Amino acid sequence: MGLLTGLRDSITRVTDRLFSASDPKRIGIYGPPNAGKTTLANRVARDWTGDAVGPESHVPHETRRARRKENVEIERNGSTVTIDIVDTPGVTTKVDYKEFLEHDIDEEDAVRRSREATEGVAEAMHWLREDVDGVIYVLDSTEDPFTQVNTMLIGIIESQDLPVLIFANKTDLNGSNVKRIGDAFPQHETVPLSALEGDNMDEVYDKIAEYFG
Amino acid sequence: MPHQCTNCERVFADGSKEMLSGCPDCGGSKFQFKPDSATDTAASDDDDRVGTVTASDPPDTASDPMRSSDADTADPTPTDAAAPTTTSPPSSAADSEGEVIETESDPNVLDPTENSAQADARRDVVTRDELDDVSDPPQRSDDPARTIPPDTAASPGIDDLREELNDQFESIKILEPGQYELNLMELYDRQECIISLQEDGHYVIEVADAWRDDA
Repeated sequence: MGLLTGLRDSITRVTDRLFSASDPKRIGIYGPPNAGKTTLANRVARDWTGDAVGPESHVPHETRRARRKENVEIERNGSTVTIDIVDTPGVTTKVDYKEFLEHDIDEEDAVRRSREATEGVAEAMHWLREDVDGVIYVLDSTEDPFTQVNTMLIGIIESQDLPVLIFANKTDLNGSNVKRIGDAFPQHETVPLSALEGDNMDEVYDKIAEYFG
Repeated sequence: MPHQCTNCERVFADGSKEMLSGCPDCGGSKFQFKPDSATDTAASDDDDRVGTVTASDPPDTASDPMRSSDADTADPTPTDAAAPTTTSPPSSAADSEGEVIETESDPNVLDPTENSAQADARRDVVTRDELDDVSDPPQRSDDPARTIPPDTAASPGIDDLREELNDQFESIKILEPGQYELNLMELYDRQECIISLQEDGHYVIEVADAWRDDA
């Protein structure tokens, strides 16, 4: 059953690519909570459409539903690459409402946020299976990248044969260590950036056009 | 006397389909089977048991209005005390609960010597009318197979329900409201998408497109 399902998914994915080559690629922005995914999505969307994707926050799991910004046209080297950006909730293996209590959120609201965040992770994993053509994997470069979640997600993305770019975010912070991320996933290209400050965004757009155009 | 309910001891005629949906009298789902060759000895054992249960458990009999009328008329087993109990083999196993076997798993049912009525009961599909007749038997609170948890606080608690759901859905483990453990691989592998977690631990899922008619 699993084999047949996988085969069907593969065929669907291949045919989708064959018959919709001109459609915008749907690029999922994945990563652990608080890596700066929404900040990056907003940066890209604002740079090319003038709109934002969603609210940014230092509170983890602020994004609890996948948000999509369609038809983002990125111009590089005289040509245009059109993508749909999907900002996803941070992926984690544990969600605890007590985490929210540290951010002056009352318990009832914290429990609700926790439930929504869990739903969001489930949704993000489902999108990864069904609905994305490529992945931008965002990591906080001040944090250790050798985690179960990162290893598992990168493994899933590789098993799907999806094009993936790893963004080492928050290079503006002390303690940023881009090399550690590059060493953790040497099979993929790592692009340093600060989505908050807009640092190195030219290279970011070059790579997006190269990988997903 | 091939079958007898182990709860109320109602006897079913050879080939009867009544018991396929549980005993119509008490709702019991276990029956003991006695092939023809063992009828004599079984009758003696059963007679002993009938006498014992009836004597020691009068409130149960009295509390079951259907049994007092139906069981007497439907029970063709001679219940007189003249049964030759002394001729039955004094098997301790035969008197124990170990003798009680599920009808479905009874190897004797597949005996090539089974008669047409037995074969018919095993092969035929019960009709709607027959189902309706036995679809609402009296409940016995001590029969776990028939006991439906009431929707009250006295029912198995929310913790039990949560535990049960966790066993069924390994993708999200609810430790307590607001605390969750997620199995990312399971979530990824699921065809259906969990779109909502309910307070009581239930899930709302969105089925995959492939399951829909227009897919």
